[in-house]
Amino acid sequence: MKSIKDDICEDVRNTWLTIEFELEKHFKRKRVIISFSLAVILPLIFYVVPKIWADFPDTAERFASLNLEFVSLLIIIAGSLFAGDAVSGEFEEKTGLLLFPTPQRHMTIFIGKYIGALIPTMLVVSIYYLTVTGEVVGIYGLGALNLDFLKSFLVALIYSTSAVSVVFLFSSILQRKITSTLLGFFSLMMILPIISNVLQFLVETEPWYIVTYSAGLITDVFSATTQVGGGPGGGITRFSPDFYTGLGVMFAYTIGLFFVGLWISIERRME
Amino acid sequence: MSKDIVMETQNLVKKFGDGVTAVDDVSFKIEKGEVVGYLGPNGAGKTTTIKIMTNLIKPTAGHACINGIDVNRHPKEALKSVGSLIGVPGVYSYLTPTELLRYFGKLYGLPKQRIDERIKEVLNMVNLSDWKDSKVGTFSTGMERRLAIAKSIFHEPSILILDEPVLGLDPEGIKEMRELIKSFQEKDVTVFLSSHLLDEVSKVCDSVIFLYDGRVVEKDSVERIDEIMKQYRLIDVELLEDIRKSDLKDMKKIEMIDDVKKIDDSRIRVTKNDGDPGTTAEMLRKIVENGFDIVSYTPEKSDLEDFYVSLIEEKEGAR
Repeated sequence: MKSIKDDICEDVRNTWLTIEFELEKHFKRKRVIISFSLAVILPLIFYVVPKIWADFPDTAERFASLNLEFVSLLIIIAGSLFAGDAVSGEFEEKTGLLLFPTPQRHMTIFIGKYIGALIPTMLVVSIYYLTVTGEVVGIYGLGALNLDFLKSFLVALIYSTSAVSVVFLFSSILQRKITSTLLGFFSLMMILPIISNVLQFLVETEPWYIVTYSAGLITDVFSATTQVGGGPGGGITRFSPDFYTGLGVMFAYTIGLFFVGLWISIERRME
Repeated sequence: MSKDIVMETQNLVKKFGDGVTAVDDVSFKIEKGEVVGYLGPNGAGKTTTIKIMTNLIKPTAGHACINGIDVNRHPKEALKSVGSLIGVPGVYSYLTPTELLRYFGKLYGLPKQRIDERIKEVLNMVNLSDWKDSKVGTFSTGMERRLAIAKSIFHEPSILILDEPVLGLDPEGIKEMRELIKSFQEKDVTVFLSSHLLDEVSKVCDSVIFLYDGRVVEKDSVERIDEIMKQYRLIDVELLEDIRKSDLKDMKKIEMIDDVKKIDDSRIRVTKNDGDPGTTAEMLRKIVENGFDIVSYTPEKSDLEDFYVSLIEEKEGAR
């Protein structure tokens, strides 16, 4: 009879094999090359355009803040690309009939799939920040880099985990991979931001519990809360997420949605 | 001395959410090295049983055990020695056979060198060696099927669970599959095979389990079923004149005839209640004595299919 330690080691090994297999599949489907290319091209636009037609912003923080507005978009694209069909694809394509009747816990398969989606998403973020950092050093010098860059990078990584969890949940629930991918993408891209804006500007309530609102921290770490001009009745308050609350919300989404998704995936059967 | 029981179901029940009972109190035992056919019409519960036995779905009640281990409680241990081919699985179209098999080889804990050897061996077995580095997306349905078969035997399992293995294969592929199953039989591999091609089953299986409406209605050796079928001899008789309904009634009155069916205008199929050649001669003489002129007669061999049909008709009649 196998000891608990051996059993756990075997589960870890199986999870690692799934991660490797997932990464191999992402490579084969050109997803990695597409998202990595975007991670270089998008920040380069912010370098090339002002270089040719205008001036760079006065400070490195403003440059980074403008540039990093798009890292959220890239996180959503990468998360949807890598996690959108992680579970639903196995059921829709019936590849699960090959994968599931094997000597491994279904739990290890789905954990492996989640991590297999998370790794390339985080790599995409890292490449984006590396490119931006290179640009900042090139334009403003090494001294322009400060702790805010690191904070923003860490927030972006944590937001990646939340985004992957959101998409992973849809993938575990829905039958078709296209539906789970698109619903994951549009939830983060449109649905949650719309709810967040409605709450902020119409109800004037801070939507601190909405993860896309917390994602604002990625650029907010470079500046303070601002007021934007309003109509005749006065100014409209634009809320800005609190750093620690924002991080807490991102962690909550990551852990909560991952476990719900994992549970649904394990319970889901190929009937 | 009885052999080891390697597969067993105990009062297996599977009810789906819509109230359908797909498998109803199914119990059977399969010994090591047996090749067992699992037969039944569409919707009888064959694939559901197989899915439970491979932990794709959980039973509502009962147990499915492999080597004495409950598959649904300890799938990791139970499925180590099992190779399976269930339904028509999808194969990752963007991978090559080599990449696909390498992953499964690692999963079954084979050393790297052995994985390389097995890739060559199994792809050769299923005639895919020339396509080992081609993307599966370019394969025909039959080739995908053969790759799925290669995956199921890759780790040299001692138990093979095959659900309609010849589905999508051409006649050559069916023949190869039959040979493959026979080769496993020689290696003492236990094979559990669901199929609707009864002729195929009778060619490769030692015994069969008949499933109907989610229940096991018969389990016996193919040899014994052959014995039983000899008792139900069929004879096709061609008469000189066209047959009327009243003629069939008259013939049914002949004592050794169980049933008479009209095949066409002048031909009938007679079902005798024994396989004795002596009574066949007697029966033909009685037909002539009743005023029918026989042009020719052909004894038809009863097979597994006839047995299966008679079994189903019996069950339908009992409803």
